[in-house]
Amino acid sequence: MDKITVQGQTPPSNSNPAARAFRNPYIRYILFGVVIALLPLLAKSGVMPSSFLVNLGGVLIYSIVALGLNLLLGYSGLISLGTAGFMGLGAYISGYLSGTVGLPFLLTVLIAIAAAAVIGVLVGFVSLRVAGIYLAIATLCVSEILRKTFEELDQFTGGFSGLTAGYPTLFGFKLSREATFVLLTAALVLVMMLTHNLVNGQMGRALHAMRGSEVAAQAMGVYLLKYRLIVFAIASAYAALGGALYMHFIKFSYPAVWILTLSLNILAVVVIGGLRSIYGTVIGALIVFAVPDLLLKRIPVIGGIDGIAYIFTGVLIILVVMFYPSGVVGIGHDIKRLISRGRKGGAGNG
Amino acid sequence: MAKATHSGAALADGLVLDIHDLSIQFGGLKAVEALSFHVKEQEIFGLIGPNGAGKTTAFNCITQFYHPDRGQVVFRARDGRVLDLVGLPVHDIIRLGLVRTFQNVEVIKELTLIDNVLIGAHTDFKATILEQALRLPRARREEREMRAKAVRALEFMGIAHLKDAPAGGQPYGVLKKVEMARTLMAQPKLIILDEPAAGLNDSETAELAETIRRMRDEYRCTILLVEHDMRLVMNICDRICAISFGQFLACGTPGEIQGNKLVQEAYLGEEEPE
Repeated sequence: MDKITVQGQTPPSNSNPAARAFRNPYIRYILFGVVIALLPLLAKSGVMPSSFLVNLGGVLIYSIVALGLNLLLGYSGLISLGTAGFMGLGAYISGYLSGTVGLPFLLTVLIAIAAAAVIGVLVGFVSLRVAGIYLAIATLCVSEILRKTFEELDQFTGGFSGLTAGYPTLFGFKLSREATFVLLTAALVLVMMLTHNLVNGQMGRALHAMRGSEVAAQAMGVYLLKYRLIVFAIASAYAALGGALYMHFIKFSYPAVWILTLSLNILAVVVIGGLRSIYGTVIGALIVFAVPDLLLKRIPVIGGIDGIAYIFTGVLIILVVMFYPSGVVGIGHDIKRLISRGRKGGAGNG
Repeated sequence: MAKATHSGAALADGLVLDIHDLSIQFGGLKAVEALSFHVKEQEIFGLIGPNGAGKTTAFNCITQFYHPDRGQVVFRARDGRVLDLVGLPVHDIIRLGLVRTFQNVEVIKELTLIDNVLIGAHTDFKATILEQALRLPRARREEREMRAKAVRALEFMGIAHLKDAPAGGQPYGVLKKVEMARTLMAQPKLIILDEPAAGLNDSETAELAETIRRMRDEYRCTILLVEHDMRLVMNICDRICAISFGQFLACGTPGEIQGNKLVQEAYLGEEEPE
């Protein structure tokens, strides 16, 4: 994974065309997606247990959701503990519309995204009045209201017993688990590219300015309300997209999934992976949502501890905040620097 | 954008800013009281006063960070319109061509110098968020043009070689230059510099004086300087307005201000009657 931690635009040099192409961020995103999309083959050929695919698919979904939170927390300096609610909203809307109503999968995803974006805009209005811990509480409340709604509207959501859905149908083809995994990958790569474009342009700079100093941002002509509404709408839309994909990949949703714990885990993804880092967010999702299930639970003794995942995530957050405030992507940069320093030192001695 | 109530203000030829009867009070404290002065096109104008004189308050009233209780701030915008700024939203001020720097430099540490400078062009981007997300031709073209413009602004400040370095960790003097380069991105008509010499040593201050003159001459803009450093003010200002305790003391050339009894008293205290 080390090659993908290289981020941002590196200065151009006169190396061969392949290296130059690799430096193009879009080509890197696509290559990254192709590599991930090949994982089902590994599972098919038996190199990797096929149950891993469900976990890794979850990682892709949570990466999409966490990219939205990274826009809020990393770029704009706005906190949200409401992620789970918006994810659940996307899951139920897409699940109900595709299952009971029978709308096409893609249309249900679009409706889910639009609905979440509208509610996100409302939260954006709140964010202009309250900040910091109060914003965290306000977003948590929105999420809890949504969860309560999922419980109560049981003719749509199935209440406590939950809602089921099948793998998505695209253009008349019913997708298999492996094909759905590829679809998740495509969605993630698309979201990564959109996010890349947004954060590296005028809007990204406005979000940076807003986080840095509201006063300076306003003096530079940044209309705070507009950008708060937009960034909350985008983050909610990403969460709803993730939720809709979850519904059609995990195939099951019940209210107890969309709780504070999930929002906190997604917050952990952003903090551990790296604030303001797109690849870091994916690495963070891998660490928080895959490592405990795929690795820790297989270790004797430690794997038997109840709630090992929470302990692992908690300890990691503390370590990252203390030693790598910019997230684990910072470790990659440090290793690269060490290697290049080692090379220089070796050359000097020899 | 300006509402109908803000148009129709009058401004004499050759003036860019006319402050009339500006007053604001916080609780019982009259921070600025009936302040009037005007600034001519392409002059370097100094606003001076002892600590707590209300310089910063006055200038926050001009840029609409504070909305004054009374008075007018008539401004000739970069498109030639004449309007009263009072009551306009803060974020609408810069697109009229009125841009400011900050006393304690406001740059974003995580961004490169050129990205910091590009923030100054924020209101001149026309591409929508959707065009930016999909990198459609207009968004790409704008970004390219603005980047070239930002490079020119950094070259003007003599720090173009640092354009891709992150702002965090740069020396204070460089960050000050980044802030000034940022003002040049806004097609400025009037640049307000808030204590630009604070924290600079003698040679840096001399360089700053030269830079401010060049900004005025090459970008054909007006400079309003709010400053503590008397040598800088006396050296570069065409005219100076002195205030004390929120009230107007005197306005004139550096020589006139230096010789003014009221100004001397405000800075040095009254002479004891014998």
